[in-house]
Amino acid sequence: MKIQRTETPGPRPGWLILFVALAIVLITVWYRESDTGPLHRVQSGVQVVVAPIEAGGELLTRPVRGLFAWAGDLGVSRSQLEELRKQNQSLRVRVAELEEARLENERLRALVDLPKARELQSVAAHVIGRPTNSWDGVIVIDRGSTQGIGVGMPVIGPQGLLGQTVAVAAGSAKVRLITDQRSGVAALVQRTRAEGIVRGSIDGRMTLDFVEMDARVKKGDVVITSGIGGIYPKGLPIGEVSEARREANALYQEIRVQPASNPARLEEVLVIVGEPATVVPQGGE
Amino acid sequence: MKRAIPAIASIFVATLLQAGLAPYMSIGGVTPNFLLLVVVTLALTTGPTEGAVAGFVAGLLFDMLGTGPLGPMALVLSATGYFAGLLHEQMFAEGWLLPITVLAIAALSAEVAYGLLLGLLGEGAPFWQSFFTKMLPAAVYNTALALLVYPWLARFLRHERPMKTFRRLA
Repeated sequence: MKIQRTETPGPRPGWLILFVALAIVLITVWYRESDTGPLHRVQSGVQVVVAPIEAGGELLTRPVRGLFAWAGDLGVSRSQLEELRKQNQSLRVRVAELEEARLENERLRALVDLPKARELQSVAAHVIGRPTNSWDGVIVIDRGSTQGIGVGMPVIGPQGLLGQTVAVAAGSAKVRLITDQRSGVAALVQRTRAEGIVRGSIDGRMTLDFVEMDARVKKGDVVITSGIGGIYPKGLPIGEVSEARREANALYQEIRVQPASNPARLEEVLVIVGEPATVVPQGGE
Repeated sequence: MKRAIPAIASIFVATLLQAGLAPYMSIGGVTPNFLLLVVVTLALTTGPTEGAVAGFVAGLLFDMLGTGPLGPMALVLSATGYFAGLLHEQMFAEGWLLPITVLAIAALSAEVAYGLLLGLLGEGAPFWQSFFTKMLPAAVYNTALALLVYPWLARFLRHERPMKTFRRLA
């Protein structure tokens, strides 16, 4: 009597080798092709399909997120309230000073007949998607190429610069945040005009790199875009210096920057359109 | 073909969850990876070849959802699916400790491999910074989710097969 073979078939490493080879080919082609190459187009096509799902997720989870935000705000202590009152008072004084400066500026401009500063054209958009994985600092907005949005356009939130569009489909676009490790923005410290590059990191913290040791930078200094590189217009707030250190024998200062905009709670953004820009895949400007 | 339907359905649902729900389950910048959970569960319940196929497809979908290069997660999940599938014969229908341990190891290995691969491609970040802020927390998060998801998913994906080897009866 013939005994039947009852063991399940053993592992076939040929399949693994095939898929590993295929993945390597895909990676190579993706890097070698241009932004309009077939693999990039497929990725954009997937974005078109996925955008409504992301928008659905945003809509469905909004009440739960609102509840969490409300619960989080309940924890504001008495000392924090006192601090906010003080901050409010000093900001009122500052607003009055700035209003005075604005009026003076207007008078001087009229006097010397300076051309009006460049007006920034913008398109408002809703945030419909957040990063789908831990490694990607990207949000999705509900405006795309049909609304005049292109790749490489700066995106701002209510408090300042957020990032840059990196992939655009017909009705949606992906925005790489300035906190992402692949982002870099030419910046300067508003008070002292010290120049550097603001870089993101894997944990979402930002640093201001390449600031000379003799430049005066302190905690609380406002960091703005310098306009160098031509991607971001000059003067957009990026954040505030949260820590500035000078290490002995170091070439540059170690400066941490707290982002002006918190993308986690953002619901609306503005895309600055009009000027053609370029996307720098690594390191921004 | 009939056997492939639950696997295809699981990967499809995991992709929907990854795009629509995972971003809002993010804790401290760490987002769960539903596709990884499906691939490892599928590999443990069906075998290495199926694990590698599912890993490649799921990884490619994962790559397409992001803005990074196409292929790194496909490579990582193919290998993860294959190696997890090698343990398929050791899995018992009623056991949960071994599969969860395998899932935890697979989750950490996949995150580390993905981070290293991104680093190799010039897209990553310093290793130890990534390890403590992304890889390890993501592995813990995915394992915690696996505790909830694995029993149901494994039941859905498991093929009805007769016990064929002594090892499975032991």
